[in-house]
Amino acid sequence: MHEISLAQAVWRQVTAELADRPGYRLRGLDLVVGAMSGVDPESLEFAMGLLVGESDWPDAEVRLRTEPLTLVCNACGREFTTDHFDLTCPACGSRDADPVRGTDLRLESLELETDDAAETHPA
Amino acid sequence: MPPKRIRLDKAIVTESDRLAAELAERYDRAGVLVMNLMSSPGAGKTSLLEATARSLSDRFRMACIDGDLATDRDAQRVRKAGMPCTQINTGGGCHLNGKQVRDALAAHRLQDLDILFIENVGNLVCPAVFDLGEHRRVVVSSTPEGDDKPVKYPVAFRLADAVVLNKMDLVGATDFVVEAFREYMDEIKPGLPVLEVSCKTGDGLAGWFEWVAAARDAVGRKVE
Repeated sequence: MHEISLAQAVWRQVTAELADRPGYRLRGLDLVVGAMSGVDPESLEFAMGLLVGESDWPDAEVRLRTEPLTLVCNACGREFTTDHFDLTCPACGSRDADPVRGTDLRLESLELETDDAAETHPA
Repeated sequence: MPPKRIRLDKAIVTESDRLAAELAERYDRAGVLVMNLMSSPGAGKTSLLEATARSLSDRFRMACIDGDLATDRDAQRVRKAGMPCTQINTGGGCHLNGKQVRDALAAHRLQDLDILFIENVGNLVCPAVFDLGEHRRVVVSSTPEGDDKPVKYPVAFRLADAVVLNKMDLVGATDFVVEAFREYMDEIKPGLPVLEVSCKTGDGLAGWFEWVAAARDAVGRKVE
């Protein structure tokens, strides 16, 4: 159960992004949890809910999607996904593959709103 | 104003990740090989360290940082076997983090060491996610735990540099099939060294000592 500290790290990132954009309010945020990131999505969602609820933007929506492990075969170059961590390439049968996606936790995007008509293009 | 969506796609960097980078630099400056040992509780991390202390103390200057929820029983065992060892009690914490390791380093003169072992909290889930800046990561598995451990805890096994398969002396008393374990390992990370040992009888430990010495050589060369 390390998701609380991960949620705090996510929140630090979110508040830093908002500090760079004065006048904007947080409406929502999108997180991507890799299948091999070692992060439990449900626990993370729960911890994020607590932090958002206590924040200046308690109604902000936390959206979370999981991303399958995606590998690239070092023998034939084929990219493929696996849901049970089998590294066998479906094209050539090689087991020499490296992960390209699905190994980390990422802040994909923020949804922001502002009352200020001049601020139409957040940096 | 309609809401704006800002695409960031930034990997989340935890405080622990930042500390890991700082620790890695510190290890390299001191020229010490650092190994992070992880396993489920009771697989034999401490027994492996005891055996290592007894057999390699005349070749390498070694020390250990040991993580457990409570007590300093493991540190006492390792010290008794001849390796200086600092105990970290994590309370409820299910893994060691960079801050705990950094604090524990105060008790060791890194530049006077060849190898520092970090014995993580017994848990195959959370320790795998927390980099402690180590050069090598070792997962200890044991035969009574079952031969399908690698596919049940793929993150830990995938990130390992070697797997020590302990309690080979008990293989006949369990349903463990060595070939099945190796096949599962092959699914998760082909080519990863799997070292079969029994810390109780000493069988196979020579292979582990050799692996440790080779890792020490590799890191020593990089540092110089």
